[in-house]
Amino acid sequence: MSALRYREAIRAGMSEEMERDDRVFVIGEEVGHYQGAYKVTEGMLEKFGAKRVVDTPITESGFTGIAIGAAMVGLRPIVEYMTWNFSAVAFDQILNNAAKVRQMSGGQLNVPLVLRAPNGSARQVGSQHSHSMEHFYTHIPGLKCVAPATPADAKGLIKTAIRDDDPVLYFESETLYSIKGEVPDDPEITVPFGVARVAREGAGVTIIAWSRMVHVALEAAEKLAAEGIEAEVIDLRSLRPLDEEAIIKSVKKTHRAVVAYEGFPYGGVGAEIVDRIQRLAFDDLDAPVLRVTTRDVPMPYNAKLEQLVIPQAAGIIDAVKQVSYRS
Amino acid sequence: MTAETTDTDETKLSLYRKCFQIRRFEEEAARAYAQGKIGGFLHLYIGQEAIAVGAQEALQKEDYAITTYRDHGLALARGMTARAAMAELFGKVTGCSKGLGGSMHFFDVEHNMLGGYGIIGGHLPLAAGTAYASKYREEKRVTIAFFGEGSCSIGDFHEAMSLSALWKLPIVFVCENNEYSMGTPMVRTMSVEDVSQKAIGYGMDRDRFFCESPMQVRDRLKVAIDRARETSAPTLVEIRTYRFRGHSMSDPGKYRSSDELEERKRKDPVTKLRIDLESAGKLSELERLEKEVEEEIQDAIKFADESPEPGPELLEATTYKGAFAR
Amino acid sequence: MAKLLEMPKLSPTMEEGQIASWSKKEGDAVAVDDLLAEVETDKATMEFRSFDKGTLLKILAPAGTVVKLGQPVAIIGEKGEDISALAGSAGGGDAPKTEAKGDAKPVKTGKAKDDDAPDEAARNTPKSEKKPDAEAEAAENDEGEDHDDDGEDDANEEPEVDAKPKAAKPSEVAPQPADAASSRGSDGRLKASPYVRKIAREQGLSLEGLAGTGPHGRIIARDLEGAKAPPRRASTPSVAGKSAPSSGTSMASSVEPEKRPLSMMRKAIARRLTESKQTVPHFYLSIDVDADPLHALREQVNADLAAMGEKAPVVKLSFNDIIVKAVAIALVQVPTCNAQFTPDAILIHRRVDISVAVAVDDGLVTPVVRDADKKSVAAIATEIRELAGRAKAKKLKPEEMSNGTFSISNLGMYGIDDFAAVINPPEGAILAIGQVRREPVVRGDAIVPGRRLGMTLSCDHRVVDGAVGATFLKALRGLLEHPSPILLL
Repeated sequence: MSALRYREAIRAGMSEEMERDDRVFVIGEEVGHYQGAYKVTEGMLEKFGAKRVVDTPITESGFTGIAIGAAMVGLRPIVEYMTWNFSAVAFDQILNNAAKVRQMSGGQLNVPLVLRAPNGSARQVGSQHSHSMEHFYTHIPGLKCVAPATPADAKGLIKTAIRDDDPVLYFESETLYSIKGEVPDDPEITVPFGVARVAREGAGVTIIAWSRMVHVALEAAEKLAAEGIEAEVIDLRSLRPLDEEAIIKSVKKTHRAVVAYEGFPYGGVGAEIVDRIQRLAFDDLDAPVLRVTTRDVPMPYNAKLEQLVIPQAAGIIDAVKQVSYRS
Repeated sequence: MTAETTDTDETKLSLYRKCFQIRRFEEEAARAYAQGKIGGFLHLYIGQEAIAVGAQEALQKEDYAITTYRDHGLALARGMTARAAMAELFGKVTGCSKGLGGSMHFFDVEHNMLGGYGIIGGHLPLAAGTAYASKYREEKRVTIAFFGEGSCSIGDFHEAMSLSALWKLPIVFVCENNEYSMGTPMVRTMSVEDVSQKAIGYGMDRDRFFCESPMQVRDRLKVAIDRARETSAPTLVEIRTYRFRGHSMSDPGKYRSSDELEERKRKDPVTKLRIDLESAGKLSELERLEKEVEEEIQDAIKFADESPEPGPELLEATTYKGAFAR
Repeated sequence: MAKLLEMPKLSPTMEEGQIASWSKKEGDAVAVDDLLAEVETDKATMEFRSFDKGTLLKILAPAGTVVKLGQPVAIIGEKGEDISALAGSAGGGDAPKTEAKGDAKPVKTGKAKDDDAPDEAARNTPKSEKKPDAEAEAAENDEGEDHDDDGEDDANEEPEVDAKPKAAKPSEVAPQPADAASSRGSDGRLKASPYVRKIAREQGLSLEGLAGTGPHGRIIARDLEGAKAPPRRASTPSVAGKSAPSSGTSMASSVEPEKRPLSMMRKAIARRLTESKQTVPHFYLSIDVDADPLHALREQVNADLAAMGEKAPVVKLSFNDIIVKAVAIALVQVPTCNAQFTPDAILIHRRVDISVAVAVDDGLVTPVVRDADKKSVAAIATEIRELAGRAKAKKLKPEEMSNGTFSISNLGMYGIDDFAAVINPPEGAILAIGQVRREPVVRGDAIVPGRRLGMTLSCDHRVVDGAVGATFLKALRGLLEHPSPILLL
C-alpha cells in the first residue's frame, strides 16, 4: 500500500496498464508537454514517449472520433477531456458512435475506449464549466459510467476501465485530486464495476452518494450521529452498471433513503436510483425517498450564491430528518 | 495518365459486372421498398457505382473502408454477398448486421467494410482513427473514407481533415460530390465549388475529377492510396458524380429538372462502359454476366424473404461486449 | 510606505503555495511586473509577479516555505524604510481574509458581508410541510372516550362528557392530529407507509384506529411502537443475505401467536366501531327495571302459547322479543330518541327500524326489524328468530342489515348484568340489556326477593341529550313495569 493522492492514483493506474499493454495510449489536450491540465498525466510523456501520450489541438469531436475509430480496430485509447463539460462538443461521437457501433454492426465490432475528465462543480468557474455530465451519459445504453471517490478506487476503477472492452466514462473531481488515501501497490488489484462500497454503516437512514459528495455525506453523517441518527453512507463508485443490490439491502435495513449528488434535479442518476428503490423496496419504505441535488439553475459565479446552489451537508441533514420524521 | 487504355476487355467486363451487380441490387432494393419489405430510410447508389468499384480495385484487402449511409455500393464492392446485403435491408438475422442496422449501417469486418453511418460527417473522425491505429501499429494499411459534398461544411469533416494532416495519417478522403445535399444544390451550401480546395487550408494533397469510368477511378485513387501507404500522408480527392434517384426513397427529387437528369444519365459511367464493351464485341459475355447477376440478385431476394428475423435476445447481447450494464 | 506582500491566488483552486525560489534578494529594486518568486501550487509552478514598484525590503517566507493564501511572504517599500512594526505584525498575525493582494494591513475587507452565515444550507431539498406542533398535539389529544357513566337519571344534569366533538372535521387540514380518522383519506383509503403495511400484514396487526403521526396522518413505523409488535429496530447491521424480519419478537418468547386473518366482517366491525367510538360523543344512561311484572307476563304468555299448540303464532316469547316491542313503542312516544345526526340537520325518523344484535361465528351482525312499532310481539319474535337463523348461516342480505334507526344489544343470556354498548352509526342510540337478576329488593318498607333488569342507553350527545334519553328510558321503564300495553299496541 502507498499513500497516494487521487490524481497520482489515476496516474499510477494508467501507467501500470500502459506498461502491461502496448495498445493503451493517452490522448487529449495538454496531457503531454503541459504535464496535464490537472497534473494527472504529469511525467507520463517523459516515461512513455509521444506515441503513447498524445497532445491534441482543441478538437474534442475530432479526437474523440479518432479514439473511437482506433478502438474499433483494436487499440485501447484513454481520452482525457480537460473537463467533462467539453465533452458536450463531442456528444455526437459518444452517443452515436461509441455507444452504437457494436449494435449497428450486429456485434461485429466493439469499442474498448476510456473517456476521463474532472466533473461537477469547481470554485466560481461559472455555468459553462460546472456541469455534472454523468446524468447525460448514464442514460445511454452501450456506455458504462464510473465515479471514484477515493484514491484507492480511482486506481482500481481506471484499471478496470482500461481493461474493459466497452466504452467507459470515468468521472473525476477537481476537488478530490489532492486528497490522499491508501492505495494498493499490486498492479493486479482492480475494482470491479457494479459494486458499491459501504463508506459508513448505520441503521437509521441510507444516504447514497458518489464522487465528491461521498465526503459531504460522511460529514453530514457525523453531525447526524450527534443527534442520534446513525446514517449508512453508500459510495456507489459505479453508476452504470449500478449496484442496486447494495442499495436495496441497505434500504431494507433502514427503511428510509436520501440520495445526495451534484446534478440538476430533473431526472438523472438520482431519479433512477429513486425508481429502483421504490420498485424493489416498496414495502420497506417508511417515507418517500428524497434527493439532495444542485439547485435547478445554471451555476452562478458569485461565491455565496454558488454555495447555495451546490448541495451541502446541511441539505443532507435536513433531508435525513424529513425522512426520519424528525424535522 | 491512366492505365485504362491498356485494360483488357476481361478486366473491363469484370468491372462492369461489379457495377452492374450494384445497380441491379439497388434497383431491386427500390422495388422491395415499394413492396413494403424494406422500411425506414433507403439511400440508393445508382449512378455512383463506378466510384466504389474503382476504389476497391485500388485498395488492398486489409485496407479499411468507411462511408456514409449510402453504403450498399461500397459494401458489395468490398465483397459482401448480395444475400447478406439484401437480408440486412429486409431486417433479417442473416443480414450483415443481423437486422439490427438496416440500410444505413452495413458492416462487414471480414472485408474491412467498417460501416455505414447516419450522422453527416460523424464517421470521418472514425476514419482518421482507423488510420491512426494503422500508423500506431506501423502497418502498411490505408483507410479510405467516403462522404458527400454536403459533409464538407460540418465540424467533424474539418476536425478529421485537420488532425489527419497534422498527424500525417494514412487516409484518403473521397468526396463523392453528387451535386445535391438532399434537396439543396451545392451552390447553396458551399462558397467554393471546388471541394478539393479545402485540402489547401490543411496543407493536404488533393485531386479532383469527373467520374467517367471505374478504371479511371481506380487509377486516380491509386495515386492517393499509394501516397497514404508509402508516405503516411493524407489526400482529399473530389470525384464529381451524380445520383439518378432521389436522396432517399422518400425524396421525389423535385429540385432538379428532368432535362438535367436525362443529360446526366447519358453520361452514366456504367452505361458507357457497357456500350464500350458491346462495341468491342462482347455482347454475349455481357448478356451472360448480366443474366448471372440477375440470378444472383433474385437469389438474394429469395434468401432474404425466407430468412428468419432476429430475436429479442440479440438486443442486450449486442449492446455491450461484456455483460449488460444497467 | 512599506507594505506586506501576501501569497496571491495563482490558480482557481489554490489554497496554499510553496515558495520554490525567490528571483529577487532583499534590497533589490522591483519594477511593476518583475518576477518576484516561483511558487509551486497544487496544479503547477506559477510565477509571482510584482504589482508594485519599490525595493524588496524583507523576505518573510524563504524558499521552501509553504504559505497559505493571503499570508505575508515579503515586505516591499522605499529603500531604507523602517519596517520593524510591519515585520512584527506579520510574524504572529492570522491570515486576513481578503480578496485583494498586497494590502498593507490585515483588514477584513470581506467580513461585514460574511456575517450573514454563508452556511445557510443550500435548501435544495423539496419543500416539506412544517409540522412543529403536530407531535405535541398528538400526545395531548385525548379521544373523548370518557365514560362518564354517572348513572343518575336526573334529566337536568348534563353528563360530564366532552361537550365539543374532538373529531377532526373533514375540512380541517390538521397537521398530525393523532386521530385515526385523519389517517383515512376522504376516499376512505388508509394512509400508511408501505413498510407499516408490510409489518401489519406479517404480524396480523390491524391498522384501524391507529393514529398516524406522519404527514397527512400517515401511519409511520414509529406509530407501531405503541401497537402489539414494535417495528424493526436493528442495531446490528444486517448480515449479508439475511434480512432480519421485524424483530420485535427477537427479544420475546419464540412461541408465535396464532394468526387469524381478518374476515370481511371483522374488518367491518373494526372499522365501524372504531369510527363510532372516535367520532360519536357517547354518554350513558342506566336504569334498573323492576322485572317481576315482565317475568310474570312472560310466564303467563308462554304457558298460554304452549297450550295453543299448533295454533300458537309463535312457540314462545323471550324477554328480548318483548323488550324490542316495548322499545319500539317508547320510540314512537319519544321520537327524538329515534334520530340521527348529520352535519346539516338532525333527522328524526318516522319509521322505527330496530337493529337487533345477533352473535355469529367470529363476530356479530345486526339484522333489522322493520317497522317494529307496527308489528305484534309475536310477529317480532318470529322475525327475530328467522333473521338470527339466517344471520348465523351468513345468509342475510346487506339491505337486511342496514338502515336501522335504533339498536338493541342483549347479553343477558351470557350472564352479563349490565354493560354499555357502542352506538351503530348513523343511529343516535343503542340500548344494552343485561340479564334478569334475582335479588333482594325494597317493597314498601320490606326487603323481599325480587327481579331486576339492568339496561344502559348509549346516546350520541350530538342528537340525544340527557333529557331526551332519560325521557325515553322513563317511557320504556313504564312499559316494562306495566307490560300489558306491549301486547296490545
